[in-house]
Amino acid sequence: EAIWVQSRGCLLKEVHLNVTDLGLGYQTEEELLFRYCSGTCIEAETNYDKILNNLTHNKKLDKDTPSRTCCRPIEFDDPLSFLDKENKMYHILTKHSASKCGCI
Amino acid sequence: PAVARENNCLNAAKACNLNDVCKKHRTAYITPCTSRVSSAEVCNKRKCHKALRQFFDKVPPKHSYGMLFCSCPLRDQTACSERRRQTIVPACSYEEKQQPNCLELQASCKTNYICRSRLADFFVNCQPEPRSLSGCLKENYADCLLAYSGLIGTVMTPNYLRSPKISVSPYCDCSNSGNNKDECDKFTEFFTENTCLRNAIQAFGNGTDVGVWQPMSPV
Repeated sequence: EAIWVQSRGCLLKEVHLNVTDLGLGYQTEEELLFRYCSGTCIEAETNYDKILNNLTHNKKLDKDTPSRTCCRPIEFDDPLSFLDKENKMYHILTKHSASKCGCI
Repeated sequence: PAVARENNCLNAAKACNLNDVCKKHRTAYITPCTSRVSSAEVCNKRKCHKALRQFFDKVPPKHSYGMLFCSCPLRDQTACSERRRQTIVPACSYEEKQQPNCLELQASCKTNYICRSRLADFFVNCQPEPRSLSGCLKENYADCLLAYSGLIGTVMTPNYLRSPKISVSPYCDCSNSGNNKDECDKFTEFFTENTCLRNAIQAFGNGTDVGVWQPMSPV
């Protein structure tokens, strides 16, 4: 059973980047399409989320602030491989980019 | 100001990763070709070869040939041509602990039906003919490139040699050929000194063989 809800606000977006822009420390001149999930999940909120919202406002949960419905990847893109700047070593990045989004 | 030097092989790799099919199949061969399986073996060569064959089977030539047959300036012996040499992950798919004799390698190829038929295709489709303008007996560069790329992922897997001009060879040599030295030299020269193959690779790399490629990949 799916644990996520689709929402019109939460969408897959795409940006063309250099692998070095990712800030993961790789030395390469290669590029990629980075896909991410963005948007609001208000429509997908359940009674659970409404209750959490009320309880945090009414300070009934001490100092806890449990997270609410988030627009997150529910599936990831295929892994990406690239050759380093010295043309010596290949690297493979997994679970680095979204392919499907959901409010979870 | 210095003009930025174009690295066609780097550009082809970038284009591959921006295409979902090419990106997927590229990783699908880089993974087995770069995974160490034991302290003795750098990789599982059989899995690496199989994934390389799939890459050339499934990825459109615009991308697969783009990386394999990218053109590099004559003087550039580093960035561009080294990247081209690394396309097939030679440490796994090409090199061996010992270099076998080419005729022995040919004999072992003939025991495998994929290798046997692909080697036969290569000899037919890349047959040089000095009297023809193209340099080929069958004047069809596309068929020659297809036959050459078909050898990648067999025991006859060829790769670029570190040489100023375009020269390719399977991983073997003609030492210990005995009485068959001439036959062995003829075999290796079909790879290393083949004008038909060299012209076909150059025509693809320079984008000059327009007639053959236009119907396949309108850019």
